[in-house]
Amino acid sequence: MRGVAFRASSPLPGFGISFGITAAMLSAVVLLPIGALLFEGASIGPGGLWETINRPRVWAALRLSFMTSLYAALFNLVFGLAVAWTLTRYRFWGRRLIDAAVDLPFALPTAVAGIALTTLYAPNGAFGQALAPFGIQIAYTRLGIFVALVFVGLPFVVRTVQPVIEELEREVEEASATLGASRLRTFVRVILPTLSPALLTGCALAFARSVGEYGSVIFIAGNLPGVTEIAPLLIVIRLEEFDYDGAVAIAIAMLAISFAMLLAINLIQVWSRRRFG
Amino acid sequence: MADAAIDPPRREGPALRASPTEEPSWFRRSLIAVVVGLLGIALFAPLATVFAEALKNGLAAAISSLGDRDLLAAVRLTLITAAIAVPLTAIFGLAAAWAIAKFDFRGKAFLITLIDLPFSVSPVVAGLCLVLLYGANSAFGAWLIAHGVQVVFAVPAIVLATMFVTFPFVAREVIPVMQEQGRSEEEAALTLGASGWRTFLTVTLPNVRWALLYGVLLCNARAMGEFGAVAVVSGKIRGQTATMPLMIEMLYNEYLSVAAFTMAALLALLALVTLTLKSALEWRYADQLAASRRH
Repeated sequence: MRGVAFRASSPLPGFGISFGITAAMLSAVVLLPIGALLFEGASIGPGGLWETINRPRVWAALRLSFMTSLYAALFNLVFGLAVAWTLTRYRFWGRRLIDAAVDLPFALPTAVAGIALTTLYAPNGAFGQALAPFGIQIAYTRLGIFVALVFVGLPFVVRTVQPVIEELEREVEEASATLGASRLRTFVRVILPTLSPALLTGCALAFARSVGEYGSVIFIAGNLPGVTEIAPLLIVIRLEEFDYDGAVAIAIAMLAISFAMLLAINLIQVWSRRRFG
Repeated sequence: MADAAIDPPRREGPALRASPTEEPSWFRRSLIAVVVGLLGIALFAPLATVFAEALKNGLAAAISSLGDRDLLAAVRLTLITAAIAVPLTAIFGLAAAWAIAKFDFRGKAFLITLIDLPFSVSPVVAGLCLVLLYGANSAFGAWLIAHGVQVVFAVPAIVLATMFVTFPFVAREVIPVMQEQGRSEEEAALTLGASGWRTFLTVTLPNVRWALLYGVLLCNARAMGEFGAVAVVSGKIRGQTATMPLMIEMLYNEYLSVAAFTMAALLALLALVTLTLKSALEWRYADQLAASRRH
């Protein structure tokens, strides 16, 4: 299988065993299971898949997951930029602690985040009580899903943008200021275009993660069919009903969304490489 | 700009005039206040809630809430799962890194894409895929069950689900670092008569050890905390296939708040330890970790 044409010759040993382990483990853990899903989808057929997806409850769940993830990613685009800018450009007490804490959503298990957010924003929780006089309810509404997805997606934007801000050349900003541009104009016309590929990539990563997010959302969502029921939860419900075809159809729709996002991320990177070298 | 050329850099003391490449100080102060405030609400408040709810009735009540046999079984299952899944993921990461960093072969970029695949698959979908492959409904799963191997709703599926979601963690950290090292050191070792294994253990492994540790750290945190993928495949049998995150869900839904949050606090402590070690590694060995490690 790996003749001369497959790989260039090398004096180092161990290609066969390392490539073999990689291929075997990747197949057993990731590729074969995904293949089983696609196989199952193919045996249902496009018509059957469409029929299963084209129901109000499924559409509502897919749209809810998609739109709420989009709003959360857009919020994180702005918030994440502010966090990354503050952490790289300003020096203040506690900066390192906050820098480390940005990764908390990566490290904190989603179920833990889920019950903590729900307790905070529930009508009798600390934030829930504070917001009640204004008529705002967050837990068990779509706003709750948004809050959970903002929590989950924030580090993606911050960690993608931060290294780019660190490498910005001050000379360009100086040149812009010398030419009479205000600080705001320099930011909008000089800095923001340089950051935009990283911002979009981080935003797309946060979005991709949010669409599939389950653990941190289901506690706070309320899970009312058609209103606050997210797509991953509907997969779990279909599975519990032993409706495998239903689960497969929704899963394939979600895979299609994530591969579209993956493609978008790659296109952003190709575009930024062409534009910025 | 003439001023800037004449004046030495004004780092000390209050600046008389704002530097042209800095925001005005009122803006800086308000942005810092807004960012710190929002992060406090978004990150620190949930974390504090976990510990506050766990200790609501005092430390003794929190500790005794864990006394249940099912809860201890959940802790044990989570530890066992991580103890199997994390080393296997590390072996996979090292093997993939060796093949990808030290050799040129066709389809390398495609292989890297495949390794990253689990990042873009919802954990619930991952669990569903495993149920479809290993469950009683598939030919392969039925054959396994006929031969006495129960995968789904048992520990093997929990390990597989955990491995699915954590699979890229170690590989992603180690591959770029190994690529940066090149292969000249290994070639020198081989020329001096070392065996392939010895070269790997004494030359390659020490070069990537911090990246490996970094990847294992992140992998372990995710492995112990994984919820969605494990929830789908485990069957949630108390005392048998309920991991810590699943137990948290069950306790929470039964309104056993103190027990749920005490278990959550254990996982939150793990997250804090992970973050501390991770930050320490980043500050201490920044040069030996891949520049593109963020994801």
